[in-house]
This record gives sequence, structure tokens and C-alpha cells, in this order.
Amino acid sequence: MSGAAAHGSPVRSANGAGGDASALRCEACRVALEGEWSVCPLCAGPVAGRGVSPSPFSDPPLAYSRRRVLQVLFLVSLALIGGSFAAQLFFRPQIDGIGPLRSVWLGIAAMWLVVLMAVRRRRTIARGIFYLMVITSAVCVYWDYLTGWHGWALAYAVPIVFSCAILGVVLLALLFRADRGAHVVFSWITVLLGLLPVAFFAFGWTVQAIPSVICGAIAVIAVVLLQVLRGQELHHELERTIHV
Amino acid sequence: MSRPAWVRLDNASNIFLAARSDSDPKVFRLSAEMDAPVGPDVLQEALDATFDRFPLYHAVLRQGLFWHYLQDSDLRPQVQPDVLPSCSALYFPGEAALMFRVVHRENRIALEVFHALSDGTGALWFLTELLVDYCRRREAEPGPAMVPEAAAASGPTVAPAPSSAPGHGLSADSFGSYFRRRRVPKPPSRDSAMARAFGEAAASSLQAADTAAMPAAPDAPEAAEPRRSGVLRARGTRTPDARTHAIELSMPAKQVIALAKSEGASLSMYLVALFFESVRATATGRGARAGSGDGPGAHRTLAVSVPVNLRQFFPSDSARNFFATVRLAHTYGEGDDSLAAVAADLEEQFRPRIAPEALGERLRRLIRLEQMPLLRILPWPVKDAALSAANHLTNRGLTIAISNMGRVVLPEPAEAHVRRMYLQVSAARPQFCSMSHGETLTISFTSPFVEADHVRAFARHLTAHGVKVQVAANRVREDELAQVHA
Repeated sequence: MSGAAAHGSPVRSANGAGGDASALRCEACRVALEGEWSVCPLCAGPVAGRGVSPSPFSDPPLAYSRRRVLQVLFLVSLALIGGSFAAQLFFRPQIDGIGPLRSVWLGIAAMWLVVLMAVRRRRTIARGIFYLMVITSAVCVYWDYLTGWHGWALAYAVPIVFSCAILGVVLLALLFRADRGAHVVFSWITVLLGLLPVAFFAFGWTVQAIPSVICGAIAVIAVVLLQVLRGQELHHELERTIHV
Repeated sequence: MSRPAWVRLDNASNIFLAARSDSDPKVFRLSAEMDAPVGPDVLQEALDATFDRFPLYHAVLRQGLFWHYLQDSDLRPQVQPDVLPSCSALYFPGEAALMFRVVHRENRIALEVFHALSDGTGALWFLTELLVDYCRRREAEPGPAMVPEAAAASGPTVAPAPSSAPGHGLSADSFGSYFRRRRVPKPPSRDSAMARAFGEAAASSLQAADTAAMPAAPDAPEAAEPRRSGVLRARGTRTPDARTHAIELSMPAKQVIALAKSEGASLSMYLVALFFESVRATATGRGARAGSGDGPGAHRTLAVSVPVNLRQFFPSDSARNFFATVRLAHTYGEGDDSLAAVAADLEEQFRPRIAPEALGERLRRLIRLEQMPLLRILPWPVKDAALSAANHLTNRGLTIAISNMGRVVLPEPAEAHVRRMYLQVSAARPQFCSMSHGETLTISFTSPFVEADHVRAFARHLTAHGVKVQVAANRVREDELAQVHA
């Protein structure tokens, strides 16, 4: 009984496995099954015959369900975060004392939301970047509104967040080789939204030109880069996505 | 007993503590299928008697400041019906409990052991004595209890374990007795050169070396492995409550050995090659996940961790961990990828790696590390964190793990009453453990994932080549379990 390879020794012949002909079997896998099965535990295909031998496993009920635990945690988190944001509407910016408290409260809620989204979308990176961009920007705009609308969100925060997101999807397009098609649509949406801050300026919503212009320039460069590097893939992906 | 005996936990065993997780509590299960339903009362008597002969199994695990230690206890084990999922956790920090359990269900007797206590070989010794004692008591019972149907069968009766028990005590740390502080006792056997190769080093080789040893080798860090980044790692949906997904295949050993022979391979390497092929074939698509690039296209190298029982080089009757692991890899698409060629490639890597000199070289390095005074005075949580990180790195370079206990022949009267025997381990990645008893080879696949595609491919290959395969599996999906418990 050494580790591996100790098995050269001859073994007395025969069987012990196999069972009788009427026993439960999966014909696709050509195996006999122990215990009661309505489908084959290997291929989930149909089984034939009757279960004659008991299963050696006791199969106790689930101690908990990872999926349900995560689901509950997610919903509770969303409720708490949503509640935190909504509760801010009851406070006026002038009320003494709520100012610093609100910053801490909103800061924690916003961070929680960002982490939640990042974890939930960790497998679809471009989509995750897009969600983060939208959530972070929305939180900034809301925060600006709550604190008396000084315009910092549209002038600085949104262009900066959008610029970072665009850099993110460009890096994604350059670095990731596997399954690029999945990223391509959200990458393009992110980049095109990068032109939005320029519109803020054009509509006169903000008077700070520089951040918006920088963001717009980054977006234009990204459009060119993506078109050159991944234009073909976008074409194929769109063909599939909007196929009617 | 005035003061309970205690002994420091060697690093090898320590890595099992550090590498433990919800889905892989580092527990392994050795089970025997009897020819009649198990009698719990007789089993309890047999367990009491066996327990008295194995002081090591009296131990509980305690935390010191710098190390964990094993301490003698007055606890007594109780035989239990098998109601927990296979390989459920046995160690909970802060709880002084025995590190093994004996359970029974229908015809089966199973011994589950926390790997920090013992390795597969050590556990087999315990189980062997338990089975022998149990069968003797059943035979002595009046009435039709057990008739040794095959008692007349000839064949070699090789007891796998020394039965009276100098080495079954708490302090019998083979790593320590062979390697610590250059006190190198003469190995009782032939290959003293080999022993010396290890010997200069100290006890810590255990850590990596011994760690790997039996079933659930937590993958001790290994030196200079090429290209870990390109190694295919199996992915899947984790089971809903982190229980181990176990699938047992049993088949006539002779048929599989003949099949391996027809490919010119040893049984172990044939099974590994087939496992590689099964994982590779089923990783396409599902396994290829956006972003992580897990498709076999990107990752063409498959790697396996194989434990080596060091007792074969350094005779030892200690039931504590005493093994090393060897990592073997094959890169597909660079030549002949037939089963025979892959098996031959693996065999070629394996042979030199288990040469005493090679093992000794590795062990010496590890022992040197463990002996460094600076490292020794680090509190155990720091050591654990480091071991855990090392383990994590090692895991990244592994696709699967296997363990082959080989053919087991029990002493009478157990031999006549035991049919199939199984080894299962909790698993951090797809794994199989094989052993054979009588004429039946059992291969127990375990995995933290719900999917069983690689097992399906494995079984279908065998049945397509005329091997009669019987399958038993536990239920892990939420809907399946809901159905059973509706």
C-alpha cells in the first residue's frame, strides 16, 4: 500500500461488481447503479430496471443552501442600502449635526453597494465595469443633490468615473483573450457613454469644461482603438445580439 | 493519569490544519463492505478494544502559542449510524474532541479520520484491527450471525499492519525519529543510504513531505515546477452546503489491470492518464469561462498530485502522517497524447521522483526551513497563514489529485467477511482514491463541485472497453435532496 504505483500485483480474478440483469442501469453509460435513482447520477439520462441494492450514502438534508444564504444576504443588503439612500430625503441639508453623519452613512452605504455589485458581476467584467460606472456616478449626483447641489458631481465626479471606466474596458480589450465577444457590447456602451459629460457642458449643466473635455477625448480615442482592435468582434456580436 | 502526555504537531500535519476549508475539511474515509448487516453493539465492543491498542487515536488537538499539539485524553469513541455527509469535518478549533469517528450503515463500516492525526496507511491499520476484532466477535456469537463463506479461499494473507502496537502511540513521529537534529537512528532495513539522504534534515520535511502523504495531500510546496500558470484547473458549481460530492465506481480489478496492460501502463498511471483525458474532454465549453481563460485551449497542461507512502523507504510502524507528494504533469498538443503515451510520460516522471535521493533532497530543504529558529518562534497563526498561502499557490498548479492504496489483504477472519473496500477524501479539486480488496477495485471520485462530467467520461471509457462498472453516488443538488426528503 504504497502511494501510487503500488498496484502492480496481480489480483484474483472476477467480479463483485456488475449485479444482476434486472438491476438499475444507465444504458448510455453502461453502468449498474446502486440505490434508487430516477436519472443516472453521471449523465442525468434515463435509467432502466429496479433499484435492488440500497445506496451506501445516507444523503442527509442540506445543512444550509449556499445559494439561499447569498440570496438573502443580497436582498437584505439591497434593502438596507436602498433604505439608507431614501432616508436621506428626510433630512434637509441645513439641519445641524446630520452633515458629517450623512457623509459617513452615505459613504458606507455607497461602498457596500459598490462591493456588492463588483462581487456579483465579477465573472462578467465589462458588464461589471459598466454597472460600477453607473452606480458610482448616480450616487455622486444624488449626494450632490442632497447637500445642496453645488454641481461638483457633474463637473468632476462623473467625468472622472467615466474616464476610469473607459480606461478599464480598453485594458480589458487589450489584455483579455478569452471570450472577448462577451465583453464587447458593454465595452462599447461604456465608451459611448463617455461622450455624455461633453453633453453636460454643451447643455450648460456645468461650467467646468476641462474634466468633461478630457473624458470626451479619452472616449474618442477609445472608440478608435476599439474599432481598430475589436471592430470585427463587435460586428459579429451585434449580429447575434440583435438577431430577430 | 497525572499529567496527560502530549506531543507537538509536526508541520506536515500542520498543513492540514492550515489548508482546511468548509468544502475540504481534510477528512478521509476508509470503509469496508461486510457480508452481513453491521451489528452496532458488537462494533462498539470491537472499537473499544481497538481503541485501547491505539493511544494515538485518544489524542485531541490543542493550540499552543507557537504550535498545535496532540494531547492524550480520556474521551471514548462512540459508534454512530452514518447520518452525516461523507468526510464531514472532525476538527473544530477550541473543541476538544477525538479526531476520528467510526460509523456504520447497512453493510458498511467506515472510519473517518482528520488528516492531521494520521494518514491513510495509519488509518488502515486501525481499521484492519477493528475489522478483525469485529469479525472475531461476530463469529463467536451464537446463532447464524456470520458464516465465513469464502474462508477456504487460498491466496496470500498479508496483514497490512503490525498488530501489536509500539508505534501506535502519541509520540511515534516518524519524521522526528528519522530526521530530527541529526540524531539519525539506523533505519531498521536495507536502504540506510536512502535513509541518510533524508536523515540529515530535520523533522519538518514533514510539512511538505508528509503532508502530501496519504489521501488528501494538501499539496506541500514543491520545488521548481515548470509553468504553473498554464495548468488547467477544473471549475464547477460548488455543492449547496459544501458537502463533498462522492461517486464510487467498483469494478473487477482484473479487467482494469488487463486494460492498463494492453496500453503498456501500470494501473496507477493508466488511471491518471484516463482521469486527465476525462477532465480535459469535459472542461471544454463549461470549463472555459470568460475572463479566466480556463478552456483547455489556453491551458494545455494537466497536473496531478500523487502521494507516496514513505514507510516503504523508511520502515516505520507509526500511525502518524508519513508521506510525501509528487507532482506530475503532462502538456497536451506537443506530441503523442494517446492514453498509452500520457501514462508512459507520467511513469517516466514518477520513477526518478520517488527515488530515495530525490525525495531526500526535497525533504532536506523543507526540514531546514522548519528548523530555522526565526520561523520556530513565530506564533502559529502566522505559520498557518504562511502554510495556507503556500498551499494556495500549490493548488494553482494542480488539476487533480489521486491516491492509490493498492491491493489490501486483511488478516482472517476479516478477509473472509469483507467485500469491497473504499477510500474517500474530502477534496479541494476533483480527486480519486482507489484501492482493491478481493477481486474488486474501487475508485472513489470526490469533488467540491456538483458536476460529474469527468466521472461520466471516465466510466464510459471503461465500460466501452468491456469493464463492468457499478456506480454509487451521493446526492448533492438541492432539488435531488428535496425530492428524497419530501
